[in-house]
Amino acid sequence: MSSSFLTLDALRVYFSVSGGWLKPARKLKAVDGVSLEIAPGEALGIVGESGCGKSTLARAILQLVDVTSGQVVWLGRPIESLSVRQMRPLRDAMQIVFQDPLASLDPRMTVGEIVAEPLRVHRTDLSREQRQTEVAQMLERVGLSRDQINRYPHEFSGGQCQRIGIARAMILKPKLLVCDEPVSALDVSIQAQIINLLEDLKRESGTSILFVSHNLAVVRRLCERVLVLYLGKTMEVAPSEQLFSAPLHPYTRGLLASVPIPDPDLQPARLEASLTGELPSPLSPPSGCVFRTRCAFAIERCAAEIPPLEEAGDRRQIACHRWQELSTKAAT
Amino acid sequence: MGLLAPNAAVAGEARLNGRELLGADPRALRDLRGAELAMIFQDPMTSLAPHIKVGDQIAEVLVVHKRMSWRDARASALQLLEQAQVTDAARRLTQYPHELSGGMRQRVMIAIALACNPVMLIADEPTTALDVSVQAQILSLLKRLMRERGMALALITHDLGVVAGLADRVVVLYAGRVVESGSVGKLLRTPSHPYTAALLRSMPRIDAPVSEPLIAIRGQPPGPRERIAGCPFHPRCDLARANCATERPEPRHVAGSLVACHYPLAPAVNPS
Repeated sequence: MSSSFLTLDALRVYFSVSGGWLKPARKLKAVDGVSLEIAPGEALGIVGESGCGKSTLARAILQLVDVTSGQVVWLGRPIESLSVRQMRPLRDAMQIVFQDPLASLDPRMTVGEIVAEPLRVHRTDLSREQRQTEVAQMLERVGLSRDQINRYPHEFSGGQCQRIGIARAMILKPKLLVCDEPVSALDVSIQAQIINLLEDLKRESGTSILFVSHNLAVVRRLCERVLVLYLGKTMEVAPSEQLFSAPLHPYTRGLLASVPIPDPDLQPARLEASLTGELPSPLSPPSGCVFRTRCAFAIERCAAEIPPLEEAGDRRQIACHRWQELSTKAAT
Repeated sequence: MGLLAPNAAVAGEARLNGRELLGADPRALRDLRGAELAMIFQDPMTSLAPHIKVGDQIAEVLVVHKRMSWRDARASALQLLEQAQVTDAARRLTQYPHELSGGMRQRVMIAIALACNPVMLIADEPTTALDVSVQAQILSLLKRLMRERGMALALITHDLGVVAGLADRVVVLYAGRVVESGSVGKLLRTPSHPYTAALLRSMPRIDAPVSEPLIAIRGQPPGPRERIAGCPFHPRCDLARANCATERPEPRHVAGSLVACHYPLAPAVNPS
């Protein structure tokens, strides 16, 4: 494993939630012992339902939330306990694109200023002219024109704002780009434009991507590997083609069956096969396997023992007591 | 529904069981809303009153429309919640909307909408704010309720996958006009309008080979103030010819659906 690029080791992020007046604060385990690694140039998808901890995981990697325990090793160096000041010089190589394209841009700055800001902070060696040239090139690369450089974010559509956000993230040529639901707020006809742009940028720049999304069809297009998260825990990690063609974990199967497809012959039956129930409160997760309360295959053991993340073939891991049994059943 | 702001100029006709709704007496309309014609919205949090218990919000509809006593109405509210497949329904009655999950709130909205046995339900993006797993549950609930009650459903959505699971017929709107309408099978399998076809090509599908390119629709939908001469879709259409920019296409019957396009697609060249 290329552990030198980015490795998470048993990462935990807990939030303390006030229980009410005179009641003790409770722990919300947003991310609960997740280990993963990303190779240079690889795109890893993090999927799961709302509240499963996927955004918190992304933010913990960038040190935008405090890590409770575990390690984030970036280019061979643990960064989870660095101060804000120590962290700053490392940030040029790790950038993020947020979900809400307009809210993540400063309304009082022009597009040129927004995209130039990372250069002003991290590339103080550049002259003003060099900076402007780079900004103009970057804007063209994301599909905006040079003459839009002096406009303000509110003059742009959602899709264009997301292009500006991507330009701002890519201008420092980061080694890692974290995308937190980058197309979820966009109109369907615009989503494909942004997906294609991200595909092009990834191919041209070789940047690693951590792609957080609840949209499995988008993840399938962009990512080589996918990690399925449920209540802060890893359920399954697998290369995309394996995960989408032969999901092993009951949760992955249910999640895939829930994704609607525009086929009037197949879709009505898929509706009936999807997951039952809802995500339990992360404040009081079920004992044993956290998914057991919604799992059609749960047995007594699932309530008693936490299933470990086991190797399940080439680059594939799964946390389920019954996966072997269920996968042979599915095959016959 | 007659819910638009007063500056909306509404013309034409809208009839429900032969009764004209547009320009109807506000009092008559109020009797009708909730009783015969009900609506659920995209955001179930902002469409529920935050300070009233869930049970009372459902019961209120029955008290107002059916002149039930509050006691009877609350008892019916419990049944309605159960029909909307709300778990632990008795306890939910005394809870406030903020105590419920998004999916539960949408079920409460559905319970309210169904209280008076409406003949028609309008669902405006009912699952857009929900997770896919909960979305599938709500959609199959709506489907079951339609079947059991013989209720008509107008489902407003941007997701063609949602359409495929629930609808019999589809109307595709672009810039305020119908560009194509027809049976769900015809429209999704062999779309005639270039916009419908382009929408289908631009959606990443979980069941299609990844090697298939995603063909984005260029540009963006026109703003509400923009006026486009000719076909409203022509600036984004790959098949547009000269007269598309000048002559507005009138809807006409093409291969089983109604299409507003000068150059509708022949079924053979369409993506499967």
